[in-house]
Amino acid sequence: MTSIPSPIPSSPDARGVQRQITLPMQKAVEIAYKNIRLRLSRSLLVTSGIVLAMAFLMSILCTDSVHAGMRGWLRAQDPAAINPQQSRGHPTERQQLITRMEDKGVATTAEEAEGGKMQTRWLLALALAVAFIGILNAMLMSVTERFREIGTMKCLGALDGFIVKLFLIESLFQGVVGTFIGVLLGLALSLIAASISFGRFAWLNLPVGAILLSTLACLAIGIVLTVAGAVYPAWQAARMQPIEAMRVET
Amino acid sequence: MTVAEPTAAAPESIVEYTVRTIDVKREYRIGGEVVRALKGVTISVARGEYISIMGPSGSGKSTLFNMIGGLDKPSEGKVYIDEVDIAQLDAYELAWMRCRKIGYIFQTFNLIPVMTALENVMLPMVFAGLKTDEAQDKAADILKRVELGHRLMNKPSEMSGGQQQRVAIARAFANDPAIILADEPTGNLDLQTGKLIIELLRGLNKEKGVTIISATHDHKMLAVSDRIFWVRDGIVDKIQRRDELKIEEGVIEGAHGEALH
Repeated sequence: MTSIPSPIPSSPDARGVQRQITLPMQKAVEIAYKNIRLRLSRSLLVTSGIVLAMAFLMSILCTDSVHAGMRGWLRAQDPAAINPQQSRGHPTERQQLITRMEDKGVATTAEEAEGGKMQTRWLLALALAVAFIGILNAMLMSVTERFREIGTMKCLGALDGFIVKLFLIESLFQGVVGTFIGVLLGLALSLIAASISFGRFAWLNLPVGAILLSTLACLAIGIVLTVAGAVYPAWQAARMQPIEAMRVET
Repeated sequence: MTVAEPTAAAPESIVEYTVRTIDVKREYRIGGEVVRALKGVTISVARGEYISIMGPSGSGKSTLFNMIGGLDKPSEGKVYIDEVDIAQLDAYELAWMRCRKIGYIFQTFNLIPVMTALENVMLPMVFAGLKTDEAQDKAADILKRVELGHRLMNKPSEMSGGQQQRVAIARAFANDPAIILADEPTGNLDLQTGKLIIELLRGLNKEKGVTIISATHDHKMLAVSDRIFWVRDGIVDKIQRRDELKIEEGVIEGAHGEALH
């Protein structure tokens, strides 16, 4: 090494640098599928986190709807109605339900429910927070433990987009499976619990529309959270210089 | 070595350079303080050379290595890989470069844990757009070359350190790169295994005419290197050819002994 060779002003193309090809979706699906299959136990753990969070949220929403439905049924009954049984000392169905609801500490009228609305909102906020933090944490963990892998893939010529695609597919799968199971679990558990507490009353005026709406909302929340929770950190890692991504201690 | 194209005017350019750096500086901001990891490094590496970058930790050795590999960008100065200024490349071109021109070997092997040896070697080929069956055949051939023909379907966790590093070497050679960058390739291996890895690298260097640049602490590496860049305190302190090295071997051990750890 004696003198500095004169820099050759070269445009990249002049020396045959080409642009890296974008891999077809099919390849990403293949690799993502393999990743899920081979990391099954880890993947199941992450998925069960999603299931629990979504089951909690869904059961809170569903239980609330069931209670509202029963209140609606009560409202529709004539409080003054006297059926033949009452004269023989039996309470009316309306009275039976009111007793049961009061036993469980559930508001029987809309006005009463209005008073307890604050509490319901708190519970709902809590459920949402649990879902948010639980899912984001699970996804963040599962991505950060693979930072080195992301760095390695970049060294081997992976484009940022490919890494994002990979995690998108993986998390979409986990999100869809986890959320579906979680929402169904929450729905089933809350309906069973309501049936045990209130018997057939729970089903008399079941607000199917509201519950369906909650189900859809929960599905959307679960899937969006899971995918965002995985893709955002993966995108961050993919944008890093590969050496930085590999330096991150996990 | 091949003759350079006529655009190269300087007499040194008769040699085709795989890597050149011109007054490369790199500063990091750690907390409020500026750390000057490289203070202006100018080196050239000819095609087919086997280079060792030696230096203690904190000397800037790793930083220089990362610059050469296009893994990090300089704060000032230029890095040319195959006469291409890497600062001018966009993400797609840089990825293409990493995929086709450069093969990386790491101290910690960095194989993808869920993939078999064969799949690990196939991965850069997949990124290069090779068809699966072509990639499979080629990957199997390279793995046979590193004497792992019997371990194609094994996961990294089922292999010894030396075997994992050989898979990593096979993976680095997957797309017939011009440069192999090896970061402490023997750092996690015992003496004997390290020796085999060095011999393998030297053999592939001769056989394929590929340039090998290796950051290392390992003395065994010196004997096979064409040239050694001694990095100290952010500059290339000394460049030695192997023949020079032999003459003053005793001196090196003495003068740089403390710097080698």
